[in-house]
Amino acid sequence: MSGLAHYFEDTGLATVIVALVREHVVSMRPPRALWVPFELGRPFGQPAQVGLQQRVLRAALALLQRPAAGPLIEDFITQESFPVNHGWRFPGELESGTVRTEAAAVMLVWQRACVRLGRTTVGISGLAPEIAVEFVARYLSPDPLPNPKGMAPVARVRFAIDDIKAFYLEAALAQGGHPSSQQLADWFWNETLAGNMIREFQDKALASDDVNLNRIAGSLVPAERTLGYLREN
Amino acid sequence: MITALLSGFKTDMVRLADVPEPERSVIAELDCPVYADTSPVTPVAAAERHVAIVSSAGFILRGERPMLANETGYRAIPSSADDGDVLCSHVSTNFDRSGFQQDLNVMLPRDRLRELEQQGEIGKAADTHYAFMGATSPGKMEDRAREAGRSMLALGVNTVVLAPV
Repeated sequence: MSGLAHYFEDTGLATVIVALVREHVVSMRPPRALWVPFELGRPFGQPAQVGLQQRVLRAALALLQRPAAGPLIEDFITQESFPVNHGWRFPGELESGTVRTEAAAVMLVWQRACVRLGRTTVGISGLAPEIAVEFVARYLSPDPLPNPKGMAPVARVRFAIDDIKAFYLEAALAQGGHPSSQQLADWFWNETLAGNMIREFQDKALASDDVNLNRIAGSLVPAERTLGYLREN
Repeated sequence: MITALLSGFKTDMVRLADVPEPERSVIAELDCPVYADTSPVTPVAAAERHVAIVSSAGFILRGERPMLANETGYRAIPSSADDGDVLCSHVSTNFDRSGFQQDLNVMLPRDRLRELEQQGEIGKAADTHYAFMGATSPGKMEDRAREAGRSMLALGVNTVVLAPV
């Protein structure tokens, strides 16, 4: 993004970047950057915190009014704290038989979550959530689910895996409750059969002779949660 | 709970320094090309600002082909698009998406921008925002970035807020 700032400025647009990784803007020197102390993936802070999001945006735009001889980097300082519910639990009962029965149980909770959230972010694979689970579960089996037209199979399975994560995490938000991203990730990777399925899929993909499968394998599971990492640590 | 380094800022939010290895090193050691300092554009007065947001989240509209890793192009996201039709095709495990799942504005603060327009703090929130694919080499995106820049200028945009994830 810092590189894009240089190109946009050169084109005639004034830019300011809201940066999560200070090291990158220090290195790449975009003309104006506001470093924010937020989690990667949340440049404007916390969900539903309208005031905080506005303050970040105002602070970023304010840099446009500051004269500067060289690249300008400012730190966004906030004293706010946000509630974290350390007692958070998944708002439903998980079936422990198979990943398919688990997904069916999650579906009921997810449908409530969609109403509460007013939308879903599931959909990049083009598969319904329960089909995405089936597609991944059978992808490396002798009886794979047919791949619909319009997307290469390896891309389909890659995006189906992300749709499964979104499906489960949205379900986990069905009653709100302010879980942190860490709590949600711990729950998904440590307590669900779907998380385990994806971890095992990754392990097989890494060992596969299919170079396209190898290529996507590294980005399916957070590095510190892979089977390989867990075996070595 | 991880406590951020800023005094009094207690939350589970994490900075790069708090990201567990080996991911932290992967992010910190991303290839960052060296740029000569760009002569910055002289910004217009606040009331004349026509502001677009450019994200690195690989946003697509529901039903579109997802952006792929290292894709150099971009997508246009109309500000009128329903929140439920904006999907994130940057599927790296290095960043959180549960914030986005709860509130699009965490990544693409288009509602906040509209509020600033309504309050007279900027001239106009753009009708179209843009998304590139994060972690793509910036040099490889140069041609398409300049193309996006020209498109924005043609629409009257004069100010860009870049929002990497």
